[in-house]
Amino acid sequence: MTDIALTPRKILPSAATAVRLTIALAALVLLLMMVLGLVLRLAQSAWIDIAPDLFYQIMTAHGVGMVGATGLAGAAIMWFFLNRYVELRLGVYYLFLAFFLLGVVLIFGGIFSGGFAGAWTFLFPLPAMSGGVWTPGASLAFFIGLLCVGVGFLVFYLDAGLGVVSRYGSLARALGWPQLFAGAQQEAPPPTVVASTVVLIVNTISIVVGAIILVISGVNLYVPALAIDPLLAKNLIYFFGHVFINTTIYMAVIAVYEIIPAYSGRPWKANKIFLAGWTATLLLVMAVYPHHLLQDMVMPAWMLVMGQLLSYVAGIPVIVITAYALLVYLHRSGIRWDLASALLVLGIFGWAAGIIPAVIDGTISVNKVMHNTLWVPGHFHFYLLLGMVAMSFGFSVWLAQGEKPAQPFIPVQKIAFLGYLIGGLGLVATFLYAGKISVPRRWAVHLPEWGAQDRVGSVFAALAVLATAVIVVNALARFVRAK
Amino acid sequence: MQDTVALITLVLVTLLAIVFVMVLWRASVPAAPGTTADPGRYRAPLFWLLVVVGIGVSYGTLVEWPYGPGAAASGEPTTATVTGSIWSWEINPAQLPAGKPIVFAVTSRDVNHGFGIYDPDLKMLTQVQAMPGYVNKVYYTFPRAGTYKIVCLEYCGLGHHVMAADLTVSP
Repeated sequence: MTDIALTPRKILPSAATAVRLTIALAALVLLLMMVLGLVLRLAQSAWIDIAPDLFYQIMTAHGVGMVGATGLAGAAIMWFFLNRYVELRLGVYYLFLAFFLLGVVLIFGGIFSGGFAGAWTFLFPLPAMSGGVWTPGASLAFFIGLLCVGVGFLVFYLDAGLGVVSRYGSLARALGWPQLFAGAQQEAPPPTVVASTVVLIVNTISIVVGAIILVISGVNLYVPALAIDPLLAKNLIYFFGHVFINTTIYMAVIAVYEIIPAYSGRPWKANKIFLAGWTATLLLVMAVYPHHLLQDMVMPAWMLVMGQLLSYVAGIPVIVITAYALLVYLHRSGIRWDLASALLVLGIFGWAAGIIPAVIDGTISVNKVMHNTLWVPGHFHFYLLLGMVAMSFGFSVWLAQGEKPAQPFIPVQKIAFLGYLIGGLGLVATFLYAGKISVPRRWAVHLPEWGAQDRVGSVFAALAVLATAVIVVNALARFVRAK
Repeated sequence: MQDTVALITLVLVTLLAIVFVMVLWRASVPAAPGTTADPGRYRAPLFWLLVVVGIGVSYGTLVEWPYGPGAAASGEPTTATVTGSIWSWEINPAQLPAGKPIVFAVTSRDVNHGFGIYDPDLKMLTQVQAMPGYVNKVYYTFPRAGTYKIVCLEYCGLGHHVMAADLTVSP
């Protein structure tokens, strides 16, 4: 391993521009998707009147849009920092963006023009059996759009893999396995390279699995005889979905590894514990997905038990390694807070805290009374809205302030941060409370008995959206001024 | 169950928040020169605490098979067949006894549905997926007579939220 493999370099201005464009786009899409989420809560509160078909279209758009936007933001973060260590091709990055945007057009066309409302999980055979609500063409547009996004990400990860292997010799070396398993004495690759390698391995696999079910579901629309077993389809979809959404967090945490040291003065080290955590994550993120299928008791019993046990294990690297390390690095570090660092640190808290209700829901006996209630959006909004998305906004703000740490934390930013924190926590708390009182998820119309928590949730959601708008507009204005 | 789960979540999230606040509160005050943080001090105990708690909870929640009728259930269970289809439920027999174990054999005629049983106060009692081509079984013993509610808990299209039925449980 050469020294250059460990030492960060400044990325080219053209590459930085591509990342700024991407993160600006991702931030705007995130904001728009949050507005759609607010509309859903307002409709459930009976404060606005939306027909169920439109509600479920918006719900589908909110879900798939959030997965896409977090994936886009995560990719921008990973590409920006991985570029510091390995050669990545700008042309391939723009090809990824082109596929992504083409996919977005098709997906939203399928939803709002064709009426597709099969949810982002598109469980087989719902896309082909809508009861006459949408056409096969709408489902096909949605599927082809998702395939385009998937192809874009595949190209992105293949180029990243090529860059990593060219620089470090193999994926195993990039994961630090010689240091972890063979006692190699030289310094392990930087945290960014280790995390990126895990992401590109597992997401390449997940996208291929996702493509298989998308193609079969698409063909089934017009050739019903070509069907897939619904249980197998569910396994493929949840494997793909679980891995993809988790890797958005893994990509975002790279921003914490790279930016927080500039504030704390303490470099984030890829020591053996760090390497072990990421190697465990590599396996766990793919093996734990059966916890989405705990109510399909026709699944093999060992897979259901594994789903519970690995859910517990999967929480350990996040809390004992990432969150713990962050606190150690920040402890009495003399950090000067600004909006970027506050959002990045909030992101780690949201990730670690959100895992708690998620892991508990991975217990079979709990899952029997919590699965598919609002408890579920409660925990994933915790580690996405207050976790992944907070980290992404932290990265955006850091870029917007010229990649410099410890900038002035101006009052409007402080108010926006507090609004984001309170709005996010309140939204999550009302979701979790709704899960506690058994409110089902994905219902266009709620019973009057559930109205109070819906309305409180709407107020917090509105606060979160407002605060996000301030953060995003503030960052974009700085981008424009810098240009 | 739901109240206990919510309480445990609240306590653990609050504890985590307290730890974050305690560290971050003084993070901007630099340590005295020459002093360094000791990253290993609490990590190993925390790791082993989580391992021990995880093993204990796993044993406690799996030692009795969670998909079975339950240790308290006595006698041969009565079978009720349940078929979901967009957007209604067929339950046979339509009336079930209280105090006796029931096994619901649940399937779907078309897309995925979720068979959820709610008590008269709208609290969920149990659930299982209704899948085309498969029969999922879920056991439940109704503690008292009354009118229970069956709802759909897996998104199944436009009528998902109206896919509900009443279930009469007699003394």
